Amino acid sequence: MAPRPGSKSGDGDTASAMPLRYGDDPLLWAAWLYYEEGLTQGEIAEKMGLSRASVNAYLADARTRGIVNIEIAPDKFRSLSIAQALRDHFGLQDCLVIPTEGGDRSLIARLGAAGAQTLQRFVKSGDTLAVTWGRTVLALAEALDRPGLQDVRVVQATGGTTAKIPWTPEACASRLAEALNARSIPISAPATVSSPEIRAMLMQEPVLAEQLAILAEADRIVMGISSLRPESTIHSSGFLDGGVQHAHYQDAVGSIIGRFINARGESVIGPMHERTIGIDLDALRRIPQRIAVAGGVDKLPAILAALRGGYVNVLVTDVVTGRGILTAEGYKDTPRRSPPPVQAPLTARSHVKKLINAPQDAVDEALKGALLAHEHLIAALPGSPRAIRALEGPRAGKVGIVIGGGAGHEPGFWGYVGRGLADAAAIGNLFASPPPGPILAATQAVDGGAGVLYIYGNFSGDVMNFDMAAELAMAEGIAVRAVVTTDDIASSPVESRAARRGVAGNVFIFKIAGAAADRMLPLEACDALVRRANARTYTMGLALEPGSLPETRRPSFELGPNDIEIGVGVHGEPGVVRQPLAPADDCADLLLDRILAEMAPHEGDRVAVLVNSLGGTPAMELYIILRRVRQRLKSRGIEVHSSLVGPYYTSLDMAGVSLTLLHLDDELAGLLEAPCRSAALVVP
Amino acid sequence: MSPLDANQIVALFRVIARRLAEARSELGVLDGAIGDADHGNSMADGFAAVVRASAEAAAAGCAAGDLFAVAGRAFLNAVGATTGPLYASALLRAGQQFAGRAEIAAEDVPALVSAFAAGIRDRGKAQPGDKTMMDVWAPAARAAELPGDPLARLDRALRVAEEGRDATRAMVASVGRAARLGERSLGHIDPGAASAVIVIAALRDALARYLSEARP
Repeated sequence: MAPRPGSKSGDGDTASAMPLRYGDDPLLWAAWLYYEEGLTQGEIAEKMGLSRASVNAYLADARTRGIVNIEIAPDKFRSLSIAQALRDHFGLQDCLVIPTEGGDRSLIARLGAAGAQTLQRFVKSGDTLAVTWGRTVLALAEALDRPGLQDVRVVQATGGTTAKIPWTPEACASRLAEALNARSIPISAPATVSSPEIRAMLMQEPVLAEQLAILAEADRIVMGISSLRPESTIHSSGFLDGGVQHAHYQDAVGSIIGRFINARGESVIGPMHERTIGIDLDALRRIPQRIAVAGGVDKLPAILAALRGGYVNVLVTDVVTGRGILTAEGYKDTPRRSPPPVQAPLTARSHVKKLINAPQDAVDEALKGALLAHEHLIAALPGSPRAIRALEGPRAGKVGIVIGGGAGHEPGFWGYVGRGLADAAAIGNLFASPPPGPILAATQAVDGGAGVLYIYGNFSGDVMNFDMAAELAMAEGIAVRAVVTTDDIASSPVESRAARRGVAGNVFIFKIAGAAADRMLPLEACDALVRRANARTYTMGLALEPGSLPETRRPSFELGPNDIEIGVGVHGEPGVVRQPLAPADDCADLLLDRILAEMAPHEGDRVAVLVNSLGGTPAMELYIILRRVRQRLKSRGIEVHSSLVGPYYTSLDMAGVSLTLLHLDDELAGLLEAPCRSAALVVP
Repeated sequence: MSPLDANQIVALFRVIARRLAEARSELGVLDGAIGDADHGNSMADGFAAVVRASAEAAAAGCAAGDLFAVAGRAFLNAVGATTGPLYASALLRAGQQFAGRAEIAAEDVPALVSAFAAGIRDRGKAQPGDKTMMDVWAPAARAAELPGDPLARLDRALRVAEEGRDATRAMVASVGRAARLGERSLGHIDPGAASAVIVIAALRDALARYLSEARP
């Protein structure tokens, strides 16, 4: 292999001048630099004068076009093909198979390392992780190093033992907790007690009941599998009293979580059953992810039984054991096949199709439809069709709340006009601020003599137009104050909070404002409350697909087939950073981690949650996100006052989601609970 | 050289409006790269409203110099957005300068560029280098103020305007919506700068046509 870059090769210094020997083939050049000279993609990008993404695409092309031929080493191939066969045959989520022979480290140590690698892949912030005991489990804990997670709990799957072994349940759990920087929750009781009566009594102890309740919430479990052969852990751990085995457990071929199973994977009930404290086999099967780490031919019957019983859905084992399991199930070694043809990814959304008439009429026609749909709640002001007033709500002596902004955010803004919410909204063209005219008309219409409060998102157009309207209104003797909302934490760093955009958090802020005004609080008090609500509202969004304007019928920015855009606003504008598409839980974590880092809530604090569709993302995906957010908040000890899920503040047809948290205090919570009635939000 | 009357000022607005209508989607695409793609609509709709209102006012006997205030109010009420207050302020500033004049000399047409620039600067408070329309208006105003015949002054203004527009490609936005993109705004032309060039080019072409038609 040629020297690493930094040392100048003879190619000359000029970036992007392609040396002759590559012909005119940039793929060949890129492939050479990558595979032969060992340059990173970033270094190649610099050398060739390209973006990293192009280099990546070149390398992929080089493989599909056969310029580069990659072969997997035969032993690795065997591991992979066995893992794949095990996964398919037993319907596993995942399977990792390591070589049985390998250097001077014992099989148990290497299985532990592979198990650690597997767990690292799956474990996430907010997880509750159950763990059993044994040599392999302890080896896993010792090989694990995964700091940087938040709010993880590690809980013992069974009670403890006093056995003189290093791999007791207590040791395994505390070691694992340490490696994950997690809270360790013991089961404060022996794994086996002397009689069912004592077990029944112990189970009523509040401390133990609480610990077992946490165990029942486990998202994953890491476990070993024990054979019943004389040298196995089960004999030295105290789970089996000497004589018991022959009398009652002759059918058993293995043990997991201190329980016994036969070759078909069925539970073997014996005298120990009612004397064991910890999770049982039925409860085990309800844990979503069950990672077993076990290998060695002595354990083969036990592992097979555990697989047949469905107690395991992620398996880490070795080649010989894996092949043995497959042979026992009637499988043969998979022959090598030629790779399947590369499938070109489908280009999503090849056409932009919209249910509109003339594009320039879309805003007005949609608004007319909304006014008809909600004719008992809202109406346009005479002579000012873009100023929408609440039929009920505005009254003498009450502060008038006027909101507004561009169209395209439906049900924003007319959806938040009604009793207990905004008194009026001024609506502009698509993603464009309304001019001062309709804002002024709305102001005049809802002024009850107590002044008017403007609330709108921080965009330069809105600021200029609302400012001009405020000047005109004040010249007429109407007291006007304005709160410019800034909840989008992605749009600017915390030091320049005032520069941030106002996005979906407006829903909560409008609600607080409407409730404050409905209580007939004076203008200054409403203003202060709304400012506080704004300061305590945090939003962050991500897009899967850009939206498209009716006028242009083309996506407002480009996003690759596997990319998501983090930090998007609500106008189809691009976000702050782009990254590969990740599972929903990871996306939720990404948004939530940023929000929590800024909010810095204490345990026991209360929040209101909004999982908002940016227009194109269906309810199903929103609820998946909400579920993860609630899980995380629970494990952080934060109470959720209420959850809103749906298209509350959209960006035309953009696919994506925004997450908003309002950090409540008692007064804000009271205002959030106050009754309101509008097209998009009803609190009875 | 005969001065421009009210109808000829309306004709001038009409050229600007037509050019912006043609560039509607092109400006939308530019804006889509770093903004929300509405700039083409705002500019085209705004100047269409300017033509309607000023034609009506001219027909009712409004003086040429008073048409700019009419145009400013029309633009503002038609558009809103960011462009609304900015171009309304531009037109109102020209209105202050020419108020009451029944006709406007061809020599004074380049002064429109300076008046527009001043109005936009005072309302938007952007500095040259912020990657906004001011990167076009500020140098164009300076060029238009140099001595010379009116068409030569507008030619010069247009040339530096185009340079200013192209220079925004290498700038990082620091005000307005694109500012939230940080360094990702690099490499894109600012749509406000692009539309400002269209306005200046339209002014120049409208004056050139007027001069060639007015010549015996």
